[in-house]
Amino acid sequence: MPSKRKLREKIENVSTALEKVKAREGVIGYIHMDSTSAAVDLRDPSKTIEYAALSATTRESGEDLSKTFNLGDVNAIVLEGRDTKMLLLIFGDHRLSIFMDKNVDHNMIFDDLNLT
Amino acid sequence: MNQDAFAAALRNSLDEIRNICPDVRCSFIFTKDSVIVAGDAHADSTAMEKAARSFQSIAEKTDAVGGLDTLLIDGDKGKVYISCLDKMYLALTTSKDADIAYLRSITRVIVPTILKLLESILPTPLKFVPPQHLTVDTLSGFKARFSADTVEIHREILKQWSERFDGKDISQVEIEAFGGKTTQCKVKAINDSNLNRKGLIRIPEKTCQMLEVKTGELVRVKPIAPQVAASLWPSLKEIRI
Repeated sequence: MPSKRKLREKIENVSTALEKVKAREGVIGYIHMDSTSAAVDLRDPSKTIEYAALSATTRESGEDLSKTFNLGDVNAIVLEGRDTKMLLLIFGDHRLSIFMDKNVDHNMIFDDLNLT
Repeated sequence: MNQDAFAAALRNSLDEIRNICPDVRCSFIFTKDSVIVAGDAHADSTAMEKAARSFQSIAEKTDAVGGLDTLLIDGDKGKVYISCLDKMYLALTTSKDADIAYLRSITRVIVPTILKLLESILPTPLKFVPPQHLTVDTLSGFKARFSADTVEIHREILKQWSERFDGKDISQVEIEAFGGKTTQCKVKAINDSNLNRKGLIRIPEKTCQMLEVKTGELVRVKPIAPQVAASLWPSLKEIRI
């Protein structure tokens, strides 16, 4: 678990970087949640509930899978659907889900966010 | 080729993949109904079943992204990579630094090729039915002595299984204890209305001893496909008493 200062820095980096990420070709939008609030910015707002449910279930089941196979703390989950991809990043109690077209390089998005 | 031979062939293939990819810790294949088809030598059955169920929860929510193709979980100490292979999923657990792109290129070529080859030599498509977890009730006395190779389960379960096999009667089941011992037995419906509970399996004492299970413990039970059961007992029709 990162220190409080490191976590604060990550959160600030992410907030700044999300504008750049959103502008990338093929990025559909994001859902950023912590324990008290959520920020949603999606190209198609009618998908908010479906995407939020997918993000929550993926995080929960992802952590179950990690526990089952002793993978330690989950840092990232990449879920590829037939036409859309979700990059789910977990830092502290924050969960950031970025949705993109399938052919987008999610590693570039990860680099943009500078979460390492 | 029957289901066991199919699973054994897949198991050997998964073991060979581990041999050429040392980063793979374990691997297994499961159906879209979360039924485990085969796992390599390092795959633990309880872990595989738990994982398949967790994955199923995610898969159910993926209409929004057009259905699920692959899932990668990146943890501090390792990764899990699950990919869709037509009607099944392949799961790999790997070390932290595994090259997923390399593993993906191997598994997306080798495993589907093996599956296609195995399916092409099957006379009919295999049906993978999820096992039921049933509670043991030990059969002792007269019934156990004269039907020592027959277990009893609820009629409704037999009916559900029969529907999976186009209405053919289920005459045999495979029982697996959680300790790892397995056996195959004939099966019939429970007659005693006092004991006709859906979650129960009545097993003769001798079979319980062989499986190392006691009354109250759970076992995994799955039906043996009717055409396979018939081939295991070819002489039954010829017996005259």
